[in-house]
Amino acid sequence: MTADTVTKARGRRGLSETPGFNTGAVAGIVVVYLGMVGMIEAFSDRPIITDYINFGPLLILLIFYFFAYAAIGRPMNEGAVFQTGITVGVVGGLLTGVFLILVEIGESAGYQVRDVFISISPTMRDVLSFGFGPYVGTVWLTAIGALMGLLAVLTRRLQPELRAAVFSALSVLMIGALGATLFRVMLDGLSIPTRWLYRSDGLTLIGTVVILALAIGIRLYVRRQGGARMVALSLPGATDRNLPRVLIGLIAIALMALPWIVNTFVSDVLGTVGLYILLGLGLNIVVGFAGLLDLGYVAFYAVGAYVTAILTSHASYLVTDNPLRPSPDTFTNFWIAIPITVFIAVAIGLIIGAPVLRLRGDYLAIVTLGFGEIIRILVTSDWLKPYLGGPQGVTDAERVPFFGLNTRDPRILYYLILAFALFAVFISMRLKDSRVGRAWAAMREDEDIAEGMGVSVIKYKLLAFAMGAAIGCLGGAFFAAKLSVANPGSFTLLVSINVLAVVVLGGIGSIPGVVVGSLVLVGLPELLREFGEFRLHIYGAIIIAIMVLRPEGLIPDKRRAMELHAIEVHEGAGPGPLSAASAEGVQ
Amino acid sequence: MATIDGPSGSQNKKSWRVVIERFPVRRTILWILSLTIIYGVIVGTTKTLALGLFDADDWISFTIQGLTRGSVYALIALGYTLVYGILLIINFAHGEVFMAGAYTAFFVAMGLHGQGFLNAQPVLSLLILFAVSAAVSTGVALVLEKVAYRPLRGKPRLVPLITAIGASLFLQYTFRGFYGASARAYPEIGVLAGTVNLAGINVQKRQILVVVGATLLWLALFFFIERTRTGRAMRAVGEDREIAALMGVDVDKTIRITFAIGGALAGAAGILFVQIFNQVTFAMGFLPGLKAFTAAVLGGIGSITGAALGGLILGLMEAVGPNLFLTGLVPSPNQLVDLVAFGILVLVLIFKPGGFLGAPEEKRA
Repeated sequence: MTADTVTKARGRRGLSETPGFNTGAVAGIVVVYLGMVGMIEAFSDRPIITDYINFGPLLILLIFYFFAYAAIGRPMNEGAVFQTGITVGVVGGLLTGVFLILVEIGESAGYQVRDVFISISPTMRDVLSFGFGPYVGTVWLTAIGALMGLLAVLTRRLQPELRAAVFSALSVLMIGALGATLFRVMLDGLSIPTRWLYRSDGLTLIGTVVILALAIGIRLYVRRQGGARMVALSLPGATDRNLPRVLIGLIAIALMALPWIVNTFVSDVLGTVGLYILLGLGLNIVVGFAGLLDLGYVAFYAVGAYVTAILTSHASYLVTDNPLRPSPDTFTNFWIAIPITVFIAVAIGLIIGAPVLRLRGDYLAIVTLGFGEIIRILVTSDWLKPYLGGPQGVTDAERVPFFGLNTRDPRILYYLILAFALFAVFISMRLKDSRVGRAWAAMREDEDIAEGMGVSVIKYKLLAFAMGAAIGCLGGAFFAAKLSVANPGSFTLLVSINVLAVVVLGGIGSIPGVVVGSLVLVGLPELLREFGEFRLHIYGAIIIAIMVLRPEGLIPDKRRAMELHAIEVHEGAGPGPLSAASAEGVQ
Repeated sequence: MATIDGPSGSQNKKSWRVVIERFPVRRTILWILSLTIIYGVIVGTTKTLALGLFDADDWISFTIQGLTRGSVYALIALGYTLVYGILLIINFAHGEVFMAGAYTAFFVAMGLHGQGFLNAQPVLSLLILFAVSAAVSTGVALVLEKVAYRPLRGKPRLVPLITAIGASLFLQYTFRGFYGASARAYPEIGVLAGTVNLAGINVQKRQILVVVGATLLWLALFFFIERTRTGRAMRAVGEDREIAALMGVDVDKTIRITFAIGGALAGAAGILFVQIFNQVTFAMGFLPGLKAFTAAVLGGIGSITGAALGGLILGLMEAVGPNLFLTGLVPSPNQLVDLVAFGILVLVLIFKPGGFLGAPEEKRA
């Protein structure tokens, strides 16, 4: 097609042509990268199996393993499989070793590498060389890399069923070990003894064996029985017909029981997850259903929090001519504040939305980002300080009155947020399948054709903005109620990007995706304290990875997935990547 | 859009509904918005001038500040414009490309400073810093292109934009991991301290460096695009990728070169930037990046002259605007500097998305 292909055809054999070499080099770079940004060190004293292996070194092994596994995914002949797999590991290990040796040479020549790259610490180098120093460590790294390559080849050769079982067992093991603190609390809550399973944040050897055996066993058994369906059907009263209802019931029971099994901290985290589910569902309507990328979504979150906080605050420093607060003593009940908040958020959604809706997708994204930043700057400024409290924000928001219950208790608040999140899920689902939802789908697929078919594009776009604003501001309202404060520091662009990451990870347009995305991106980093520090780093990586590898997300919305792949099909038929220009509709 | 007025004279229920439905909501909001802004600017300006806080010298110094900032924005804006001109994607992570170079060159600057080289050989040192910064930024831009954008060619437009946002976050935190979270002060170059008198106006020497440096780089790029073979290839790919390929242009290579040039300019802009702002952090790229994007849009995205024009206008508006429009209106107007940039961004995209020199807004994709 292009000169590139021609060069390849001419043949330029070298190291990079050896199968597995490039993948191995990438694996090595990834390991070195993780070391240089400090992840390896941060995870190095997190035990997976106490006294045997920590997460830091395990991460290195896993990287070699997975790259080797991926490299041999393509069909190739017998001998090449072994060669490729092992090459990946060896090259990866060697590269990591070379990095260590270079650092060592630099240090001994008097350069303080750490003055520049703060993460290249002695601890990190120790973990990376498995404690053997750079030179012997290189040998070790290479050997371990080769071993991982070999393991990858061997697992590839397992029966598919057994392989799936092994993989899921190992995943369960990792989750069980990394979530040690959480699961321990949960098991304690159910008064199940945990001493045999966990020791100082990691699994015990016995625990590891039991988990592995159980997970493989269950997986194989369930496979044979036809999966989770059979498990659900074995419940009394369950039949094929009411199966979805039984499943929903089970999930509902689990959700209701959760706060009483876990401690208050986890309940608090669950509350935050709930807030992000609300925000995610709102953004999902705008981005997923209507296809409008809103990067200023945090504005509605902020509006929700601020309006609610101002209405319910006891703070005395707000001026008396505040339109929302006629006199300092009048503060509104939270439940009356909510409709007012929603009303104001929708109005702002329309004011922001109306002028920009004629814009093309990417410009729309940037304009909304601009609006979001404008709102943040205004809120922080001295100018509006008498109304919005400036950098300090609005404090002393009243807690949610709810039948005399103590709603400062995260467990009670969890139920309230859960109720609202479920309500938002319900609205989203109904909207999606309604006439409105179909209009949105038509509009995002092709605006001009939709308009030609009689869909009032402006009206439906405004409706999407309004719905998104309404649901997002509920998240804000609960934020204010949860922390009893609305301050500008909590409403930065990063929130918009986090919510976007939640939607993207779960699958753009997918409602269950939002729930899963929130649990993974908001819940996990709060619970795994080592990850917390790298949270945004990982968000960025996840957004790129999802968009490049699986743009439809983890739990794809069928229709959306089809749209995202439609162009590739078209491309396959056309003259290769060059048809991109016409696919973008530039002509 | 529904702009035809309904038969408002008749009194029956149905025609009222028609009037309401056909009421031009969008236009009305636009009108109110623009009238408010014009009113605010006029009132603010009169009030400020009535206060008489600033004299002529102040305004001149604001203008020079504006031009200095503006030239940096213009250089970064070139990166957006080049990439957009060819791929039609907004490289949202370009601000981070800029940060990567400036931040990495900081360590070189410290090294040179420690040995007294920075003050002994300022010209050579500056050249070294430019080279390091441009090289790092180019590298980052190329990796970005290969990993994040190349696999996405031909996907719906929002996909690369979302990826770019992820890349921006990822790069910021990568460099935070590499170099740490604290802000660091660039060493000052002794020769550039102080002012010179140019035709009766006192100008800081580093401001001259920034403006002259940016102008030279802009000219170099202009001639590169207009006069060289590669430049012609870039223009051809921007016109029509398919036909350019048929004519024997290596599209992939041209796109790589575009990213590389944008990166190099961003890296050079980084060194100029620290001459005015003196500080580097891992998050330093975001705001200048966004403002440079604003500049690119303002001038007309895709146009090289437009990027320069947009950058200068934005810089001037930022330096003069808050003082002129807002001093009379609100307390501490300098908190609202960024408001000017974002305000311009929003207004330009709403009212004139093609910018000053860009092609008229093409049909939505």
